[in-house]
Amino acid sequence: MELILETLGLAKSAELLSLSPPGWGANLLRGLANSLQIAFGAFGFGLVIGLFGAYGKLYGGVVVRDLLAIYTTVIRAVPELVLILILYYVGTDVINQVSQAMGYGRVEISGVVAGIWVLGIVQGAYSTEVLRGAIQAVPPGQIEAARAFGMPPFMLMRRVTIPAMLSFATPGLANLWLIATKDTALLAIVGFSELTLETRQAAASTRAYFTFFLAAGALYLIVTLCSGAVFARIEKWSRRGQPSLRGSNK
Amino acid sequence: MELKKILVATLATTLLGAGVASAEQVKIGIAAEPYPPFTSLNSSGTWIGWEVDIINAVCAAGKLDCVVTPVAWDGIIASLNGQQIDAIMSSMSITEERMKTIDFSDAYYNTPAVIVADKSMDIAPTPESLAGKIVGVQASTIHQAYANAHFADVAEIRVYQTQDEANQDLVAGRVDAIQADSIAMAGFVESDNGSCCEIKGIVAKDEAILGKGVGAGVRKGEDALREKLNAGIAAILENGTHAEITSQYFTSSIFHE
Repeated sequence: MELILETLGLAKSAELLSLSPPGWGANLLRGLANSLQIAFGAFGFGLVIGLFGAYGKLYGGVVVRDLLAIYTTVIRAVPELVLILILYYVGTDVINQVSQAMGYGRVEISGVVAGIWVLGIVQGAYSTEVLRGAIQAVPPGQIEAARAFGMPPFMLMRRVTIPAMLSFATPGLANLWLIATKDTALLAIVGFSELTLETRQAAASTRAYFTFFLAAGALYLIVTLCSGAVFARIEKWSRRGQPSLRGSNK
Repeated sequence: MELKKILVATLATTLLGAGVASAEQVKIGIAAEPYPPFTSLNSSGTWIGWEVDIINAVCAAGKLDCVVTPVAWDGIIASLNGQQIDAIMSSMSITEERMKTIDFSDAYYNTPAVIVADKSMDIAPTPESLAGKIVGVQASTIHQAYANAHFADVAEIRVYQTQDEANQDLVAGRVDAIQADSIAMAGFVESDNGSCCEIKGIVAKDEAILGKGVGAGVRKGEDALREKLNAGIAAILENGTHAEITSQYFTSSIFHE
């Protein structure tokens, strides 16, 4: 193994990427863990917002509908980088001032939590639209039939709407998840040590820019490939009982 | 049901993540970028360097419980005012411009600004000599302010997010010269990476822009913390700790005037 690396001229890179201290591999993996943690949190938080947002947009009153329209329009119009800067610096300041005004003292907001909130709010706007479209694609007859059985709204949502719309929502949500994993890189701008910032620091300290950025690219690619496999299974599961589709990735 | 589990887990992490800060811990912000020999990250993920040692010494002498907190240099004053950190000790010069938004402790080091360029180039640190050249500086630094005030009429100023990026572009020949701190540059031109280049000289004095040395930045009105930092800085200058730490990293004193 070492001989192969030596002959390929990769011995230096292998040493730089090794997991124990002279190498920076452990730092990259720690960054990846932080990135994934934020991506999971933000995606989940975004789904919560999206579900309520989609229901609000479809069935809410005039005020709720208008507020949600403002939310999705503004968030989708402003670049994510700008939103992150606004929400991170201004958001934490506002929270602290509110908490101090209420006499609770300073609240410490960890980088992970701030990242989840910021990206979650961004993701929420997009998933609102994805889920709204999916709910509208459910044949109205199924929902009417459930109402005819006298199902209360929450049971209707749980038993009919969500299972029926899941197959329409999965491709859009898979896209959103992949965007979430890569949006975590934007948090490097606020000094949060996720994969991109760890990579930049390792590259700048060792001057091995090519090695580290390639390694980071490979890690993002692995995440994407694994997610692809998982979402293919989810899609298959959510479409169970329906005729199979060509081109739906297995 | 899967969805419900995800919802509960997410809500739990988001809500429980924010806790009330322990009252006495002081977060000292440094720029999350390698700036040797002042601050740099080693491969085991800890911050080392002259400034990290000075932070620890000042805090010990000032009886403060400090944690070094890396944040983005670009937003370091925003982080301070947004209460994510309590003080900045990241080679930040005391300037009138910054005094409008934050307060500073006494200086704990003071070094001149220099121009660095390729050895083969005939460049002096004057506007006449830099005419038509491209000068690289780091964003939101005194060097950027100085270059804009003195060189922008005749030269092109190129701004970088980190000093390291400016150094790399000098090595790659994308800029003709860079302006930066003399100590950081002394370290850079001695390294293998910076062997192409040499220090061409100190730029003309302009105290209004270049400031009165490097101090610790604190939020306006936080006089108690500022006094403690001042006491710590005075104590380590007095008892020789400052000189001792300096001798581990530099060959000469870095406290001028």
